[in-house]
Amino acid sequence: MMLDSRWIVLLIVLPMATAIVTTFVRRRFALQRVIGLTSLLASLSLSVMWLIPAAGGEVITAQMGGWPAPFGITVVFDAMSGLLLTSTQFVGLAALIYASGALSPLTERRWFHPLAHLLIMGVNYSFLTGDLFNLFVAFEVMLMSSYALLCAGGSRRQLSQAYKYVVLNLIGSGFFVLGAGLVYGMLGTLNYAALARVVAASANGGPALPPAFPVVATMLLFVFALKAAVFPLWFWLPDTYHTTPISVAALFGGLLTKVGVYAMLRLLPMVFAAPAVQGDSPIVAIVAVAAGLTMTVGIMCALAMRSVRRALAMTLVAHIGFPLLGIALMTPMAMGGALVYSVQSMLVVAGMFLCCGIVERLAGTDDMDKLGGLHRRAPWLSVLMLVGAMSTVGLPPFSGFYGKLMILREAFDPSLGVAWRVLAFAVIVSGALTLVVMAKMYARVFWISPEGEPALQSHLSFPGRTGGLRGAYVSAWLLIGGSVLIGLAPEGLVSSSLVATREGGEPRAYVTAVLGDEAWTEEGAAATLPIYEALAEAKEHGGTDHGAH
Amino acid sequence: MTLLLAICVACVLGVSVYLILGRELKEVAMGVFLFSHAAHLGIIAMSGQPVARIAGEAVGLKTPPVLGVGPTAGVDPLPQALILTSIVISFAVTAYLLTLLVVTYRRTASLWVDDLAQEGRPGEPVWTDGAGEKGAA
Repeated sequence: MMLDSRWIVLLIVLPMATAIVTTFVRRRFALQRVIGLTSLLASLSLSVMWLIPAAGGEVITAQMGGWPAPFGITVVFDAMSGLLLTSTQFVGLAALIYASGALSPLTERRWFHPLAHLLIMGVNYSFLTGDLFNLFVAFEVMLMSSYALLCAGGSRRQLSQAYKYVVLNLIGSGFFVLGAGLVYGMLGTLNYAALARVVAASANGGPALPPAFPVVATMLLFVFALKAAVFPLWFWLPDTYHTTPISVAALFGGLLTKVGVYAMLRLLPMVFAAPAVQGDSPIVAIVAVAAGLTMTVGIMCALAMRSVRRALAMTLVAHIGFPLLGIALMTPMAMGGALVYSVQSMLVVAGMFLCCGIVERLAGTDDMDKLGGLHRRAPWLSVLMLVGAMSTVGLPPFSGFYGKLMILREAFDPSLGVAWRVLAFAVIVSGALTLVVMAKMYARVFWISPEGEPALQSHLSFPGRTGGLRGAYVSAWLLIGGSVLIGLAPEGLVSSSLVATREGGEPRAYVTAVLGDEAWTEEGAAATLPIYEALAEAKEHGGTDHGAH
Repeated sequence: MTLLLAICVACVLGVSVYLILGRELKEVAMGVFLFSHAAHLGIIAMSGQPVARIAGEAVGLKTPPVLGVGPTAGVDPLPQALILTSIVISFAVTAYLLTLLVVTYRRTASLWVDDLAQEGRPGEPVWTDGAGEKGAA
């Protein structure tokens, strides 16, 4: 059965409806879980259903209320959105399964389910929307629920860290509104496709872009980099991920930073650092340097961490650098690599956080100094975490490898300057250091016991639910198993990612799908849209009407 | 007019940055609220000439296609719609941030950034999947 293209809004409406429904039954946990899992399964199958044509190169669009593109709100489902949406639903599903068995009743009663669905709604909305202001709204939906999830439970420690995240993101939102407003003031539209068209037109002899355009672009880059936790803007992340319930940490780690990466992957090549504006824009250089610093400094911070959660959070931050380098290279292959890496990293990061949650529940701590010898007690957990760690490192049969390979191949292109080769070298160094981090973590958790004593004898009693690790294992297996499948059969993901980024800085298919067949012409500047002809006609009529008054 | 608005935005932004750099969370919160006001003021100034021109005619959303009156007969309504949306969002966020500050103050008895930084030092194990009960004590 093939639904009409307008139904792609279901991916936004479904989580929203679920959030509303679960609000009314918030004391009945079992019912909320069933509703939530059903809704996520439904949106997972919907996104897979649309991903199949989208991966073939089709761009599915829906114009809200029937208003034509640059005037109305556009929702776009192409291969890039589709891949990220599918893995989002998958991560959401696993986190919810984990939460069902592990969350303390207190947290679960405090609106966990409605908030988690609102978070997923915001993430889906940001992947689907086709204009800059709606991206802002989507970010806000996502952030509002993440603020609340961050404080769920309301312990003293959580609250003392929460303000950092909230205040920083509020400043980011302020910049986003200002930047979106300025973009509108300069280019007269907010629709991605129309923006791409104006920018491309300016390169082909159309009206020049205002001199302040790179400034606005940098402002928006700041916002996206803050969301993605790029090097100088990452300091909020380890503190906040440290204090949340583990299923929330998995959701945050898997989804939130990837939304920032997506925004850059979508908007930089198309609009803000398009080939047309690269001449006088520092953006590519900023992104490349930030990528290099993120991956090297981040992984060194991860080396210093003594708790599993913090080490995972810092590794996650460091690995944002890889897709960032792919974006900076801005060739279809490198951006495809960035997309492949982001999609698999969603699964792996969330899976590793869930494994860390199982470790915490078994051993009572995530402190590497106190852990040890867990392999004897939970051999399957040890296997899971080893596979996850190897995927994180990106060793060849595992999923992290392919994206990095694609990015590296482009970075070593002999026609590029030596700076790119330094960055490629940084990727390799960062990968090697990740191996050290992961090996240290694995050995500390599963093998070595401090002072030869099995640490588990003295484990603290766990204050949450202790019974039933089955759900936790199922969810971790789902995510890690998914990443293993990607690793063993990367063909589908790689080829559809290449479809998603095949156009690079010339998004012809995207623009024509959104704006109509005539929208992207070689001349660009003289391109006409049916809607503008209608507008000109209306102006003539308007003139006479006005005169009659 | 644009210059006047620009000066206003600059002043409000300056004050808000000064407040955000404060060491107490109430000041920081006030600074953040002012920041969003500055952003909204900035958008108001955005109703000038659009860049995109077709055959000498400015096109884009900035010439509102009001039927029967003509595209040049009114003020561009879109920045106002943007501001309205953004104001609603910042209302909600303001309410949330103030609530967070009240709750934080009740739990930690301080809103000074230095005091709060003491709480979050790494090293100790954190209980979060069931932290509420313990933390409340």
